[in-house]
Amino acid sequence: MSDQLAFILKNLPNLLIGFPGHRPGGLLMSLFLAVTAVTLGFVLAVILGTVYESKHKPVRLLAHGYVQFFRGIPLILLLLLVHQVLGYGRQLGLERTVLTSALVALTLYSSAYQAEIVRAGLQAAPAGMVESARLLGSSQRQAYWFIQIRYAWHVMLPAFTGQAISLFKDTSVVVVLGVAELMTVAQIALGSDVGNAAYWAPLFLVVGLFYFIVALSLSRAAQHWERGHRTGDLVHSLANY
Amino acid sequence: MSWLTPQITGFLLQGIVVTILLTIITSILSLIVGVGVGTMRLSPRPWLRRLAGVYVETFRNIPALVLIIFFAFAVPNLFPAEIRKELFFNNVLTNWAGQLTGLSLPYYALAAIAALTLNTSAYIAELFRAGVGTVPQEYVDAARSLGAGQTAVFRQIILPQGFRAAFPAIETRLIHNLKNTALVSFVAVPEFFHATETAINKTFRAVEFLLLATAVYLILSITYAALLRQIERRLNRRPTVTENWKLTPEN
Repeated sequence: MSDQLAFILKNLPNLLIGFPGHRPGGLLMSLFLAVTAVTLGFVLAVILGTVYESKHKPVRLLAHGYVQFFRGIPLILLLLLVHQVLGYGRQLGLERTVLTSALVALTLYSSAYQAEIVRAGLQAAPAGMVESARLLGSSQRQAYWFIQIRYAWHVMLPAFTGQAISLFKDTSVVVVLGVAELMTVAQIALGSDVGNAAYWAPLFLVVGLFYFIVALSLSRAAQHWERGHRTGDLVHSLANY
Repeated sequence: MSWLTPQITGFLLQGIVVTILLTIITSILSLIVGVGVGTMRLSPRPWLRRLAGVYVETFRNIPALVLIIFFAFAVPNLFPAEIRKELFFNNVLTNWAGQLTGLSLPYYALAAIAALTLNTSAYIAELFRAGVGTVPQEYVDAARSLGAGQTAVFRQIILPQGFRAAFPAIETRLIHNLKNTALVSFVAVPEFFHATETAINKTFRAVEFLLLATAVYLILSITYAALLRQIERRLNRRPTVTENWKLTPEN
């Protein structure tokens, strides 16, 4: 029991920020992957979500196909596929690292889920609201930004935090590529040494605990924030132009 | 298509069968456990609610991959080598599962099923609870004032209507569950993704097999989604509350 504790303590800094003398890794890397992918994915999702309602059928179909595709395959497969496809970039003089492959795959995956959220959000504004704004003399663009986006924001925010938490947990799958995030660090720390057998359970308990703490505190923070910003706030903000 | 030899094709087909079986088994178990835990969260007893809450938060916030590796690799390593073999790899349950499925190490498959079920059922429990929240209080009050007991109200009003309301969200989670079965390849269960990896290692044709796997997973998830939508339609066709009493006059 005591040597298990010693093993955990010895590896605790590695799990949190990666191995000394190497690039940052561990939980820090997991967070970096999740934050970057969700942010980049959001930009893609806004474009997709807007394009969903496009007047041109091929554009609409393309957006639907994109979302269907990236939501329909397992992330682990997408990671390997992106890594392979990016490998062809070498002929064009592009440098491929596991980190860029992981980021590209996570971004594509996350954007497909966020696009659905954006779409649902843009439909949240009651049609009457938009029409009233137009009747009162606001331009189409004004109605879009001041009415549709404001409504959408309140509907989308809880869904986005849920998606971000989900993606943070999904970063554990990146272990197939060997980016030095939390899960990979745990695997490296254990190695293939049979003598380490007794350390598997305590180490993965700690890894699970890290994911648990981050995911739970994020969702609690989101819940807390939401409670303070109920629809009352929406009415307030709309009434105070 | 020289890379797709008959031997590898057979291998991949077997993988697809294992993936489908894993999906069906874990989906059914997760639905049962999820609705059970969701019901516990609605219990009047505080300790039962607490317990269900801990279950949901724990298994929802830990990634499925961590759960799978924990149950498959870490748990057996907790025990000394002599009893480990008896306890996990060579007992009545695993032998029976091995004979039934033809797997060489059935413990890993059982552990994976347990891990996926824990993960998915935690989500379903929460969705079911949210679904029950949409059942109008008037329905419950009306049934109670007509003399229905607590169990009858739960079985005939809260359970069917809550489940029906939650089902669209549960569908999404079950499709997630199908995709999560690919993670089981980490613990050497020969499902489809593991078969793909083996095929790649044998032939070094990574892109071909990965694209094939993509097509297969797309077909599987679209089919599963269509199947679930069919079930949803069936659920919505069930008699409404107002007709329910005719079917079960004893209540």
